[in-house]
Amino acid sequence: MSGVAELQAQLAELLQRRRALDTDPTVRDQAARIATGNDRLSPAEQLELYREQFWLRHTGSLVEDFEGLGGILGQHDWERLVEDYLAAYPPRSFSLRDLGDRLPAFVEQSTWLPHHALAVDMARVEWAYIEVFDAADATPLDPAKLASIPEQAWESARLVLSPALRLLEVGYPVAALRRAIRHKDPFSLPGAAAQKLVVYRDGARNLQHQVVSPGAFALLQALASGQALVPACQAAMAEVPDEAPRIEAELTAWFQDWAARAWVVDVLV
Amino acid sequence: MTPRLGLPDLGVGVGLRVPHYRRILDERPSIDFFEVISENFLVAGGKPRYHLSAVRETYRVVQHGVSMSIGGPTPPDAEYLAQLKRLVQETRTPWLSDHFCWCGVPGANLHDLLPLPYTEEVVALVVERAKRVQDTLGVRLALENTSSYLSYTGSTMPEWEFISRIAEEADIGLMFDVNNVYVSAYNHGFDPYELVRNVPHERIVQIHLAGHTNLGRYILDTHSDHVIDPVWDLYRETVELAGSVSTIIEWDDRIPELEVLMAEADKAKVVRDAALARRARRLAGQPVPEIEHHRGPPELAPAALAAQRAWAQGGPREHEEAP
Repeated sequence: MSGVAELQAQLAELLQRRRALDTDPTVRDQAARIATGNDRLSPAEQLELYREQFWLRHTGSLVEDFEGLGGILGQHDWERLVEDYLAAYPPRSFSLRDLGDRLPAFVEQSTWLPHHALAVDMARVEWAYIEVFDAADATPLDPAKLASIPEQAWESARLVLSPALRLLEVGYPVAALRRAIRHKDPFSLPGAAAQKLVVYRDGARNLQHQVVSPGAFALLQALASGQALVPACQAAMAEVPDEAPRIEAELTAWFQDWAARAWVVDVLV
Repeated sequence: MTPRLGLPDLGVGVGLRVPHYRRILDERPSIDFFEVISENFLVAGGKPRYHLSAVRETYRVVQHGVSMSIGGPTPPDAEYLAQLKRLVQETRTPWLSDHFCWCGVPGANLHDLLPLPYTEEVVALVVERAKRVQDTLGVRLALENTSSYLSYTGSTMPEWEFISRIAEEADIGLMFDVNNVYVSAYNHGFDPYELVRNVPHERIVQIHLAGHTNLGRYILDTHSDHVIDPVWDLYRETVELAGSVSTIIEWDDRIPELEVLMAEADKAKVVRDAALARRARRLAGQPVPEIEHHRGPPELAPAALAAQRAWAQGGPREHEEAP
């Protein structure tokens, strides 16, 4: 390792420490070997400015991305969670956008958290919002192409879902809770209420969510897995037999709604 | 050598930031050009890419980055450079800038612009990498002097010599941040004019101006306020020495209305024009009156701002708009 690389490794270790450097006597000698200090700041205080910044920048970024989760946990538990997370998973990507990619799984492991199941759902939904925000664009469904599809071709047609769409099964109404927290509306933590949720980016590139029926959700999942329309409908009916008549009756209306919401972006025949 | 390495003078622009998108796209105000943070647009789609494309319909855009880590323990990431190159080809940025810094170590990206030790070893390292990056990206690379808060015991040369050596030996441009000169000079106790006067002026392809937060014992480069008078003085001096160089107003925290940024850009134009007039007189051999620089104790940040401790790393991320 070169001299500068060795110095950088030492510094990176110091700057990720959770506690202040300038109060740790064991760090002062090490800091003095690295930094000159000046008449206003000691070497350890110079390093401390950067250490503090590491935590401010990364906790700030996570607060921005997981506002709902922070609202559920409250400051004390949120801070402990974030510190534990950053210690377990130091940021690797050049982009702060990716900082929370492992937070949903980390929240799931962090069973000490209050309102644990609710927190897990919120983390998953908030990460879905991050993914959907800058997912790839897709050309809107072309009505002329739709009109030209022969009726018999629909049986084997594959509906292509938007890359900016995520399907989530949650145990709590977290999307509505997130909205209330972000709007600074008064809120209370909701009781359990299972939901099938679609988090998506609409045609105006705004982020939205929509609760759908179990049958519609099963159909969307089957379509997302690449199944053609008829086998997808059959799979959804088999998975949610109670909704089989509804799937059959509302398929056309669902398709129109999903196309209008930019969930379906192409039909491959 | 040709001024600005032959690159164009785009005038005085501002950093493109999320809170101003709607006004910019609806009203298309008169702004010379925008600077974008490259990393915010290295994404697949959505609003970031849409806004960039819409802004480019009317305005020239230059790219500024914060993640190259040119002096890090490992060379700049190949995948990052590949993404950057695709964006360069899309935006047609006339140059691409990043910083004289390192950002992390393998396994831990600290997302900061950490200063480099000013040594022969690091000069050689950055020169070799800067050449390679410039070749890879196919666009002129410009590196920026950072604001720094620590000075290394191992440094063997002043900052101006460090950045000058690298710029000359790698044949790259300089993104000259005048506010960073002031911040680092204050934090380390050197004369900012020594730095301004000793860098290779013909290599300055762009200038940054910004506000900062003076906490007394040190200054944080927060980009959260107006440019202060002593920094305007340094800007005037830089333009007198370097000529007409594209200039950007950076404002990344407590971002004000667009009019405030535009007024700051207008002020920069006035200072720039005056400095260019003085430069023309000087080059013509005519007498140029001395200008009294702003002196006196630095203005400390009000108590309300002193709690603001996060410094700028290149501007806020693209993000879902606040409700």
